[in-house]
Amino acid sequence: MIELSHLTKVYGDTAVVNDVNMEIEAGTITVIVGTSGSGKSTLLRMVNRLVEPTEGRVFLEGNDVSTMPPHELRRSIGYAIQNHGLFPHWTVARNIATVPMLLGWDRRKVEARVEELMELFQLDHAQFANRYPHELSGGQQQRVGVARAMAAKPALLLMDEPFGALDPIIRSKAQSDLKAIQRRTGTTILLVTHDMAEAVHLGDRIAVMDAGLLKQYAPAADILARPADAFVDDLIGSADRPFRYLTLGKVRAAVEPGDAEGAPLAADASLYEGLGELLWSGRDAAPVIDTAGAPLGRISLESIAERAARPK
Amino acid sequence: MTTLANAETSRAATSRIDRFGVVIAAFLIGALALPFATLRATRIASGTGLQLFDALPATTMVAVLAVLAATIGAALASRRPAVRLALGALALAALALAAGAAGAHLMPADNPYARVAPASGFWVALFGAAMLVTDASVRLKLGPAGRIVALVVTATLIVGLFASGAWSHLSIVAEYRNRADVFWRETINHVILAAGSLAAAIAVGLPLGILAYEIKAVRDPLINVLNVVQTIPSMALFGILIAPLGWIAMNVPGAHALGIRGIGMAPAFLALFLYSLLPMVANTVVGLNGVSRAVVDAARGMGLTGRQRLFQVEMPLALPVLLTGIRIALVQNIGLATVAALIGGGGFGVFLFQGLGQTATDLILLGALPPVALAFAAAVVLDAIIEISGRGKA
Repeated sequence: MIELSHLTKVYGDTAVVNDVNMEIEAGTITVIVGTSGSGKSTLLRMVNRLVEPTEGRVFLEGNDVSTMPPHELRRSIGYAIQNHGLFPHWTVARNIATVPMLLGWDRRKVEARVEELMELFQLDHAQFANRYPHELSGGQQQRVGVARAMAAKPALLLMDEPFGALDPIIRSKAQSDLKAIQRRTGTTILLVTHDMAEAVHLGDRIAVMDAGLLKQYAPAADILARPADAFVDDLIGSADRPFRYLTLGKVRAAVEPGDAEGAPLAADASLYEGLGELLWSGRDAAPVIDTAGAPLGRISLESIAERAARPK
Repeated sequence: MTTLANAETSRAATSRIDRFGVVIAAFLIGALALPFATLRATRIASGTGLQLFDALPATTMVAVLAVLAATIGAALASRRPAVRLALGALALAALALAAGAAGAHLMPADNPYARVAPASGFWVALFGAAMLVTDASVRLKLGPAGRIVALVVTATLIVGLFASGAWSHLSIVAEYRNRADVFWRETINHVILAAGSLAAAIAVGLPLGILAYEIKAVRDPLINVLNVVQTIPSMALFGILIAPLGWIAMNVPGAHALGIRGIGMAPAFLALFLYSLLPMVANTVVGLNGVSRAVVDAARGMGLTGRQRLFQVEMPLALPVLLTGIRIALVQNIGLATVAALIGGGGFGVFLFQGLGQTATDLILLGALPPVALAFAAAVVLDAIIEISGRGKA
């Protein structure tokens, strides 16, 4: 668990982070979202002491991080950034091995870990291990960047706009992959973005920041349903709100008894995907099947629409 | 129909003529109108210019003309860099051998004080052939290793020409023979001045550059001071250093024993050291600054200590720029060290200034050509190293 207590950073006369208090549960993805200059990156960088707070404390598992030597603290925390920051003069394998090597792991253990991570991030070891970063595509570089951040199995991973430099199609795939990998490894992730869609897609909880202040910190559904103020409301975008909301729900939750014509929908698809399929195929309802292909019932436009409305 | 075909053929023929080749051909043909060698009764007497057909035995002259004609043909008609390079190199070799042959042919047996030297025709033709070789090597896109091999081959051939005695009748070699011991002593002095002061500048400039990079308050004052030093003319700087070094030699115990004097090697070494500091410090700062912010941020975030970041990430990535600083300083030093002779610092300048004093052109060349060759070789070698060091860092 991470606790941020009265965290404040002042540059000159401006408090870029102003008295932020947050508790982050282990094993979850927390997304800090805000416009540029909101202080979200500064907040993140105070966790691994790349920025020293003017006031307040950060506790990791109850330990005050200001009592640990910065380089040792950072080796225990994963760190991935926009434009990946890969070392251009080192191969992919050497890049991924950075922190294990700093920690003095045995060579064989490092090699095994690099192979394991490259497999996890769908990078063929034989093909890519000895390549240099500039020989990789943007998506591959980004995956190497995240693999490097996770190399020493940190309990906490900090990510500063990790998908910012990717084009939309690759970004969406990278987000889904990250979420799947997080569910497998149980790593606690604290991620910064300016993109509310990314925040809703990835975040178990979302923290909205504006002008150094933490405006709202709540599960994604609560942020969409009950924005704390006009700023949060703006950030969500009023036209997009029902659709964002639907991305959070699964088809399974809206299944009703009965049958329908046409191609079936998977129970694990999001309501957003379900709505899209119904609208595009011109149907009012579709059959729903589970992962094994067994019929569960049907889903209708009406039942989806109910779930897109503002909760009472 | 025939006229049309003829017109097309002639248009194709015109388009095949290389424009740069026309310039080369003009140099080589123009050179034939100028005297190829000069014969003087003594080393400081004024000489008579001799045309190619007067300066060489008939068979040699025909051979040289044939090679030059073939070179002109290649320059005009061939687009293949390898062919142009081969014929350009052949022309250079033919000119070098012809100069030696002219020496042997013209040197009167009864007057050992007479001097034979290559004249304007030789130099113009040499320049034309050298341009062809340079252009062809650029077009061949030789890799760094290839360029170093080419340099070694060229150097070996030149040393071979000296050793074989092919040039032994030429005036510049006669000047060398008369002071061979001094020549090698001053060569060593020149190298110590140029390379030694550079080594000292690296030892001091690298840490200073790192300091200026880490502490922004140091950067501007330091670079400004070094910029001012760089603008002082070399003679003035030597002069400025004479007084303080003289004082140190007189008053600091042991300084005199270390060879520190107001004049001589010490002020020259110190001046070259000061001149080299700017390229070293400035390029260190620029190189380190050029390392991507994301890379530096990632290195900090991964938990590299300041020293690990500097030596494992920042310095290796700044290396090509650092080496460029070393290249600038070294080439600059090899040239400037020539002036050191004026304050008794030694080096090739000794012959140059003696030659100027005696109006002995050959002696001037003995002092001027070696530093040019040395600077050229240093530039080729360092450029190759820079290119190799920059690989894989795109």
